Amino acid sequence: MDAIFDSINNLVKIIGDAIAGLVGSLLPHPISDIVVMALGTLAIFIVVLTLCAGLTYLERKLVARIQDRIGPNMAGPKGLLLPIADAIKLFTKELTTPAAADKWVYNLAPIIVMVFAVLTYAVVPFAPDVIGTNLNIGVFYIIAIGSASTIAILMAGWGSRNKFSLLGAFRTVAQLIGYEVPMLLNLIPIIMLTGSMSLVDIVERQWNTGVPFLIYFPLSALCFLISGLAETGRSPVDLLEAESEIVAGFHVEYSGMKFGLIMIGEYANSLAIAVVFVSLFLGGYRGPILPPYLWLLIKTLLVFFGFMWLRGTLPRVRIDQLLNMNWKFLVPISVVHILLIMFEGKLFVTDPARIAATGGILVPVLLQAVIMGGTSIGLLLGGLLLAGRSVRGERLQHDADMTARRTANQKAAMALVK
Amino acid sequence: MLNGIPLHWFLLVAAALFCLGLFGALARKNAIAVLMGVELMLNAVNINLLAFWRYVNPAGTGGLAFTAFVFIVAAAEAAVGLALIISVYRNTQSIDPEKLDQMKL
Amino acid sequence: MEVSQIVFLILTVTLLGAAALVVTTKNLFHAALYLIVSFFSVAGMYVLLEAGFFAAAQLLVYIGAISILFIFAVMLTRGTALITPLNSQAGAVGVMSAIMFAILAVFLWPAPIRLQEVILGGFRLLRGGTYGGEPWQFVPNNADTAAVVNNATLRLGAALGDFAQYGALLLLSGALLLVGVIGSIWVARERKIADTRADRSEAAADARHEAQLESEAEAREAAALPAGAHAASVEGQH
Repeated sequence: MDAIFDSINNLVKIIGDAIAGLVGSLLPHPISDIVVMALGTLAIFIVVLTLCAGLTYLERKLVARIQDRIGPNMAGPKGLLLPIADAIKLFTKELTTPAAADKWVYNLAPIIVMVFAVLTYAVVPFAPDVIGTNLNIGVFYIIAIGSASTIAILMAGWGSRNKFSLLGAFRTVAQLIGYEVPMLLNLIPIIMLTGSMSLVDIVERQWNTGVPFLIYFPLSALCFLISGLAETGRSPVDLLEAESEIVAGFHVEYSGMKFGLIMIGEYANSLAIAVVFVSLFLGGYRGPILPPYLWLLIKTLLVFFGFMWLRGTLPRVRIDQLLNMNWKFLVPISVVHILLIMFEGKLFVTDPARIAATGGILVPVLLQAVIMGGTSIGLLLGGLLLAGRSVRGERLQHDADMTARRTANQKAAMALVK
Repeated sequence: MLNGIPLHWFLLVAAALFCLGLFGALARKNAIAVLMGVELMLNAVNINLLAFWRYVNPAGTGGLAFTAFVFIVAAAEAAVGLALIISVYRNTQSIDPEKLDQMKL
Repeated sequence: MEVSQIVFLILTVTLLGAAALVVTTKNLFHAALYLIVSFFSVAGMYVLLEAGFFAAAQLLVYIGAISILFIFAVMLTRGTALITPLNSQAGAVGVMSAIMFAILAVFLWPAPIRLQEVILGGFRLLRGGTYGGEPWQFVPNNADTAAVVNNATLRLGAALGDFAQYGALLLLSGALLLVGVIGSIWVARERKIADTRADRSEAAADARHEAQLESEAEAREAAALPAGAHAASVEGQH
């Protein structure tokens, strides 16, 4: 009984070890390592891309239901074959290249988008001992990959030789590099508390103390979520690809599978943000009864459901509102939050040995978590109050300006008529 | 000897990169291209520092700290340099270093 | 031929090839892209040197920020047209760089080159030491070294935070970055019309053109008035 339970729990690891053993017995030593690593990468690719394809269908159905319509239901029973229909459509469309486009830059950009989207999954732990590579700078690596992926968008925008593409690419890059800062700042409390940047260590600490970091740092979770949404360009911050505004932005000149690569790359990016959020704040693959990979899947899909919900509900945010919110709200509040957590971490310690060394108040782990979480929420509400006051002031000023201008125009019109 | 790579391979690559960067910084007709050469030189210096750190004294932090400061200063210098180039372009419509040889605009 | 040696050779070829293209290409945007390729290769070399933190920092700082700055600067200075790549002193600079690389190679090549021994021995004599010297002492490649290298990032963080070691320098570099940010925003800010020479001359040309149009319009009205007056008087007569 126990053996069956263990084997279900470690299913992924058992299959992986079996394949590695098989390849190791067939090929000589250095080549077998490379082949096993390539097979692992292929497995991640297949799982992620299949999940993304399914999620495109789920998203359209969910957004349709939120908007009180049915959604795609023609391709197969209840529209379940929609991803396959989409794939066939994209494969059979003509792969155009604009005549004046810079061929290499234009054609390389979707590939690079895809590559960077999938690179994030290399450091995410899918189960105990099932991870691409347990870098001891795991979180930093994820931020670095997200930062480097902005180049692909500039390449796409510039390679199309289209003013709208270029404009869209510039706005996209402004948004992306702006929102990297709060993302990094909000990971710092977690790194401070865990003492390590490795995702495996972070997940294990959440399991060892029994308290997920969502309770410790709700402000960080919220800001990381907002920054992650902005990084990947999902609604409500989807100005990057607003079809109705700037003619679809930087990917307007792409058709067929090139556009398919960019689209799937965007979904893979969103899924990566969801998986990283789950590992950092919700406890990763750890959970009571079910096997770890199922827990990871369930939690990730729940978070992604939240993303889809936000997309269907909120209207689009203007680019200046977006950048204002980033630099004037998210960054200051994240910095103050770090200071607050540093202070509380020194004051409320959970380890009796440190009291003798550096002093402090001894509290159980849950109390420390609740104190930190409570002050975070207080800081968030205070920040929202201040921000709301300033935004209201701006809006009142704006309304007053508009009214003054309208009355001036009316006066001028009356004067002309006379 | 790190996995079969002797130290002087890294040093030679860094030296070659430095010389290419120097060529770019001195022989290019556009100020932005000159800055690109400068960035290449800074990268070569970083490779050198980290190679010596790893091969001679990995227990120390001096090499790592020096590299970190080179990163920081390179980033700051690139930002300020490019801002200056943009401002000069706005004033004189030209960023050819050979033509910008007067202190007066 | 070990795997790491093959990887090193590939990285070297990519790095030096991309760097050569950066300094010789006609298209500035392509130069920025080749610069990005060289930054990637340098990050790969950092990984080979087991300095993983700096590999990620290279991606984050150089590729994620500085390269984008370069591309924006290329766009803002209209450098997207093809330019003449090399200036008048390129030949001399090329020769000088080659000589410099040759000298560096002589000194960096390991011991069997007699010239290096002689020159270095001479320097040591000049400094008052003995002719023979010790070569670089390399650390052995064993488990101790691996442990030391593995917590290098942790030790770097501790050293950068400790005011007795590098903490003050870290604060200074923070101040440097702050000054750099504020300075570059101020220097590159959008100016009002007629604030820069180009815009001033454009504004002057526009003003002259408008004045010309106005005077033409006035002349036409002045010409039309007598005609209108004539027509009115003709009508009045009837």
